[in-house]
Amino acid sequence: MLVSIVSYGLALGAVYALIGITYNVMFTASRVFSFTAGVTGMLGGVLGALFIDRLGMPVIVGFVATLAAGAVLGIITEVLTVRPVLKSLDQHLYVLSTLAFALMIQQLTAIEWSTEPQPFPRLLPIGSGLFDQQFWLPMVACAVTIVGLEWLYRRTLIGRAFLAIAEDNYAARALGLPEQRLRIASYALAGVIGTLAGFTGAEMLLAYFGNGPLLNFYGFVPVALGGMGSNRGAVVGGLALGLFQQTANFMVGGIFASVAVFVVFIVVLLVRPEGLAGAATARRV
Amino acid sequence: MKVSRRQALRGTAASAAALASGVFRPAIAQSEPIRIGYLPALTGPSSSTGIGINRGTELAVKEINAAGGIKGRQIELIVRDTQSDPTKAVNGATELTRRHKVQVMWGPLNSGEALAATPLIARDGVPQVHPCWVDALTDPKKYPLAFRNAPTNQQIGGAANHYVVSILKANKVAVVSDTTGYGTASLDAYVPMLKSLGATVVYQSSVEANNPDVKPELLRMQAAGAEAIMPWSVNAGFLSRIINTRAEMAWDVPIVGQTTLGSGQTKALLKKPEYWEKVYPNNFRNCSYDASGQLPPRTVEFVERIRKAGIEMSDTLLWWIALGYDGPRLIADAIREAGSAPEEIAGYWNKVKGWPGVYGTITWTPELHDGFQGSEIVMVQANSLREGAFVLAPGYSG
Amino acid sequence: MKDLATSPAPVAAKGGLARLEALAPVLVLLIAGACLPLFDDSYLGVIGTRACIYWVLVSGLNLVVGFAGQIAIGWVALLTLGAYVTSVFTAGTAAPELSPYLALAIAGLFGAIFGVIVGLPALRLRTFYFAMTTLGFATIVTQVALAWKSVTGGGVGVPGPIFPWPFSSPWGFYFFCLGLALLCTWMTANIAASRVGRALVAIRDAEVAAEAVGISKPGLLVKVFLFSGAVAGVAGGLFASLQSYITPDAFTFDLSILFFIAILIGGRGSILGPLLGTIILTALPEFAAPLVAWSTFLYAVLLLIIVLAMPGGIAEVLDFKNRRPLERHREIRPRPELLGTPSNPDASRGVLTLKNVSLSFGGVRAIDDLALEIRAGEVHGLIGPNGSGKTTTLNVISGYYAPQQGQVLLSGRALRRRAPHTRAAQGIARTFQTPRLIGAASVLDNVMIGGSKDGRGTFVESLLALPRHRRDEAMLAQAAMTALSVVGLEQLAFARSDRLQHGELRFVEIARALMLRPSFLLLDEPAAGLSAEEIKRLGDLILTVSRQGTGVLLVEHHADLIFDICDRVTVLNLGRVLASGTPAEIRAHREVVNAYLGG
Repeated sequence: MLVSIVSYGLALGAVYALIGITYNVMFTASRVFSFTAGVTGMLGGVLGALFIDRLGMPVIVGFVATLAAGAVLGIITEVLTVRPVLKSLDQHLYVLSTLAFALMIQQLTAIEWSTEPQPFPRLLPIGSGLFDQQFWLPMVACAVTIVGLEWLYRRTLIGRAFLAIAEDNYAARALGLPEQRLRIASYALAGVIGTLAGFTGAEMLLAYFGNGPLLNFYGFVPVALGGMGSNRGAVVGGLALGLFQQTANFMVGGIFASVAVFVVFIVVLLVRPEGLAGAATARRV
Repeated sequence: MKVSRRQALRGTAASAAALASGVFRPAIAQSEPIRIGYLPALTGPSSSTGIGINRGTELAVKEINAAGGIKGRQIELIVRDTQSDPTKAVNGATELTRRHKVQVMWGPLNSGEALAATPLIARDGVPQVHPCWVDALTDPKKYPLAFRNAPTNQQIGGAANHYVVSILKANKVAVVSDTTGYGTASLDAYVPMLKSLGATVVYQSSVEANNPDVKPELLRMQAAGAEAIMPWSVNAGFLSRIINTRAEMAWDVPIVGQTTLGSGQTKALLKKPEYWEKVYPNNFRNCSYDASGQLPPRTVEFVERIRKAGIEMSDTLLWWIALGYDGPRLIADAIREAGSAPEEIAGYWNKVKGWPGVYGTITWTPELHDGFQGSEIVMVQANSLREGAFVLAPGYSG
Repeated sequence: MKDLATSPAPVAAKGGLARLEALAPVLVLLIAGACLPLFDDSYLGVIGTRACIYWVLVSGLNLVVGFAGQIAIGWVALLTLGAYVTSVFTAGTAAPELSPYLALAIAGLFGAIFGVIVGLPALRLRTFYFAMTTLGFATIVTQVALAWKSVTGGGVGVPGPIFPWPFSSPWGFYFFCLGLALLCTWMTANIAASRVGRALVAIRDAEVAAEAVGISKPGLLVKVFLFSGAVAGVAGGLFASLQSYITPDAFTFDLSILFFIAILIGGRGSILGPLLGTIILTALPEFAAPLVAWSTFLYAVLLLIIVLAMPGGIAEVLDFKNRRPLERHREIRPRPELLGTPSNPDASRGVLTLKNVSLSFGGVRAIDDLALEIRAGEVHGLIGPNGSGKTTTLNVISGYYAPQQGQVLLSGRALRRRAPHTRAAQGIARTFQTPRLIGAASVLDNVMIGGSKDGRGTFVESLLALPRHRRDEAMLAQAAMTALSVVGLEQLAFARSDRLQHGELRFVEIARALMLRPSFLLLDEPAAGLSAEEIKRLGDLILTVSRQGTGVLLVEHHADLIFDICDRVTVLNLGRVLASGTPAEIRAHREVVNAYLGG
């Protein structure tokens, strides 16, 4: 029992953490949260099944194609739903534009792909039981992403440029940093991370359009708990959420497990709105 | 003739009032088509049944019309996709009864939608035949014009329970459902039925269908000493997870339950084809292969016709197509024999005895509007799926 | 300062004809709705009933989303709650059997309470977070409905209530719903044209300024959530009756989205827009049966188009009077003489003191050991280079920041820390470095917000347009027009604020501040962007205001203005006081000259 809770909990938690990181990368680049993180994850699974199963591509090719599609999706998100509203005085339009876009993608998937969960192919011919790839694939993906992002932000010039744009927009532009292009690149990166999450998690979650809202919510919880923009917080939050969810499933089962997660989420947020590891809100005046 | 404005207004008001009271029924010209209202769920989460049934219905209507219709009148099938949403079902039902003034209603095909639409269809005095399983959907006193040509939940559960307790001789049973209306209602109905058969229900729970991990549930079942698992859900993902997990745990117990355990969609989600062994879904005698591998003669002939019409069977179930085929034919027979007025159709149906459908033999009386015979419900072996039909489960003699 | 409300208003406020113009579209809809039965088609009746029921819910949600700007996406939770409460109490199976009307009222009560519960996180959380919590609530309610079988029937559901004659027939029920829809339209329209409505929009678009005029966000939002939840609960009961049988799967996420998008398509801050939006979104899928599967996709596309191309929605398209061009070369001509003579001699005794105030942001010391004294009837200038802490000082006085050391005292009593919404009641008003106005609202509405604290009517009185509410409105409109005349902008009273020039916006802010009849007025660079002539007039205006007994703290870069009208000047540099004294003393001060003035 414990073994099952830990293995599924950590694996799902890693998927949630990756979606949380997707949120964070988009937030860091533009100071807005996008509703599209969840559907990006969902498409990781659906496109993976489409490319590998239906179109018969080899696993590696399908994988790369899915990530590429994720990057494209990220760029479209930025161009279509974020950039136009960043200029506007109304700060909250981005919630609506990204929500609309996410809904469009989700409905399109439901109609064109299927409303039922579809099988996701077995990716590697190795592993079973406790070390089944459905468990360690997401965790490896999560670790690689974290390490990769740390290296990007701290060691490379472009990563530091990303951080500069997020930290102080005006100063960065004054220094000549191409803000627009950097933001597009950030969103493309976020798209890749999102589809990576969905792809590696799809052996558990299957290729299903309903994963969109599921990942949207459960991927946001790590961000809320770990603090906006904090990737480490997202990982901790995601793993904790995964373990808590599986424990709740085991203890109270079914319906009440999801209620338990929601309630804990809301309570924690009300007690500490900036998250357990986050910084206080920015200056308003 | 000049009609004064006052006369015209009075006429309009009168017809408006009459229509509003639902009493007004225009005389139907003898050459006018017969309008059948049809409320399938062709899209949305519960649409796999609807898509299968639809194929049969369309075939039946095409055949009847090609043979000259009903007493020379063609059938006009007016479809409104309910999208698996009771709200759309209500809108659609009202549009069909009020605006299109259909003579008969076939459907809705899902219980949740039928629960909402049936009272409205009854209020408008339109005869209705539907294949939904929830017990409360027929009530000869409340809905004298509503008939069911499929089994009730009680009958389905009864057959499965009988198989588990009396044939497999499993006395400790685990009953699990998803969290949909159908799942939870089935669970609530079947647990007492099992207990009255003398079995012990060692586990009963409703689990969210999208939960990727059902292992804790199966571990609990195993710890409680379950000798059979009975899942009730139409969600292929959920059912496939149960089947996969059972195999991964190397736990050798039979899985007996919902028909969808045997669908092509469930099969596609299994990790290994051999996991499908010892899985026994509900099915229907008329659509199953007997011990010698034969379908009943009527069904054999039906399958031929489907194949000729180019209808796909591998991604759906034969009984859905057969059920869809029977519906319009029940309606056609009633109108042909008795007439197209509501009381004529209902009168005919109330006296139907042993009507030979492909899917089921239907008998209705004024006191019982559930026409399907319990004896025609059987359990089959899931891994014997061939062209949408299955072989009877072992030890099964009826 | 003289009571602005009793001054003669140079231009009359909106007259009866304007009100009729606003009512006309609603009347047209009402007549169309009443005539629906004549179409002989009771299928249309079902759609019409559904639109009315949805509008009952959306009208309340409109106040939350459209006016207060809270992204409450999961409001279907309240529809679910209302539907089940009404059905359970009418069926009498799990609770005493009651008449459907009473059950409906109880549904409204439950809805109100739950509306506050769902809405409360809005007070603590950022927008996106709050949106997520509402989604969470929607799921919780559906799950509870599924699980609580003994009461809700679980997956099998419960039959909906049937209302007695004359509402038992389909058309009878339609008129019942139409009547309730009309009632909700009237009530929310009343709110829109009241202090509450303006305050909600202020919270949405100019929260900082709203606090400065004394609007308290929590109190206001609680009232709005109560109302919105109540009508949503009632809508739920009506919905259950229309459906005749409810199961948890009838309350889909798509429905929640429909409500939300109807408001956004209709346009925020409008009543008519969301009303049209609701009708359109309810009817649209019915007109094209093959499109039914795509309906949610189309709603989302519509929403995206609206957000990108027409954020104002249908309301903006229908806003004809704001298309009329404004006069081109406008000059701002204040008329300080309209302020009259002082009426409150006690106000001229007060002193605003800052003692040893220090505030750091992280490692940066914004202000360091600051001492400042502003006396009533004086103009006190605050100058210094950029980044010297001038705006921070204003923000500390206003209460947006709490100093880490030192105190801010009003006539000897310390001001409440971090409570900017209490300043208005204490007679402290201010303007902002970047004008914080509601772009979508008219100039007059923006100024009327300044008088928020003076209104006596309660929320309920505004809801029902009772006499005290109407007196408030007349009084505030009168006072606002006078204030606008004082700053010389009365001819632009009915124009949308986002059409004004930058300088004019600064004067509108001053008019809003004057509505408070402040004892102390804090002005943050009011002369920025003004022509030389306008600056001179501004100076006269400030002088007149101060001679009425108001103490003015003037933060400015225009040295001429400072030295012309200030009685005292304080110079800041790097957060510390560099020098303080009369203008003459400052002009001669060597360090000041070196650091700031030059030459």
